[in-house]
Amino acid sequence: MLIIRRRRGESIIIGEDIEIEILETSPTQVKLGISAPKEVTVLRSEIRVTRDVNRAASSSDTNKISQLVDRIREIEPNPEELPAHESTVVLPDE
Amino acid sequence: MSDRSAARKSPGPLRRGEYQGTMPSISTKQFGVVHFADEDIFEFPNGLPGFESEQRFLCIERPALRPVVFLQSIVQTDLCFITLPARSVDPGYQLEVAAEERKVLGLATPESPIWDQSLACLAIVCLPSEGSPTANLLGPVVLSRETRKGVQAVRDDRRYSALTPLQPAASEHGQVEPSPVEKSQADRLAEV
Repeated sequence: MLIIRRRRGESIIIGEDIEIEILETSPTQVKLGISAPKEVTVLRSEIRVTRDVNRAASSSDTNKISQLVDRIREIEPNPEELPAHESTVVLPDE
Repeated sequence: MSDRSAARKSPGPLRRGEYQGTMPSISTKQFGVVHFADEDIFEFPNGLPGFESEQRFLCIERPALRPVVFLQSIVQTDLCFITLPARSVDPGYQLEVAAEERKVLGLATPESPIWDQSLACLAIVCLPSEGSPTANLLGPVVLSRETRKGVQAVRDDRRYSALTPLQPAASEHGQVEPSPVEKSQADRLAEV
């Protein structure tokens, strides 16, 4: 990993057309300004993790839902009526 | 459309899934034909990461499968996420919603407490054919019943994992550090 020390107002260039400028710093956060071509995807790393996990979740094995329900009821035997339950379409059981 | 849904002042009534001829319907992989009312729809202005064009969803429940809530897309009708209320995965779950996502949800005041605002907080579940189920507590789906908006509110702290195992032990910890195994799993997923 390349490590570079920069001050506020300074920037680094990646390749020909990506520039990352240090806009603000505080003891806990750094504010970056990123200039990149439109076709370059810029994501917070946790968004990328969520994207990948979403993709995996979208092909979940629906045959295992009843196992999931059993497992979650071990964790929470008496699920209270949660706010979600007031805005759902309730379908009859199969 | 956004104006009309933003004008809704009170949470919608409980909807039953019985047939009504004039209601819009979608044909789904999971449930067959589902009838719904326009006010059942949750609008996700940004979609979800990886599914940016999926901007309208229904929450569907089957009583026998509670507390599972199905997040069914109205756009791509074979897309249906399996979710659990975050607090049934971890009873001590503390929701955080960043300013940007509060704006998407149309929350009144940026600083007011989250749980007071008619929000539902659902964790998307991964149910692999092989291996144990996990829930995404890093990026829960947050829904406002008042504005009918939804957003996947990905946290920027390291308090919860996107691959939280569903185990009774998980409820004892408010904090779940991603284990090296989870990290490598996430990396593997990133390669797919």
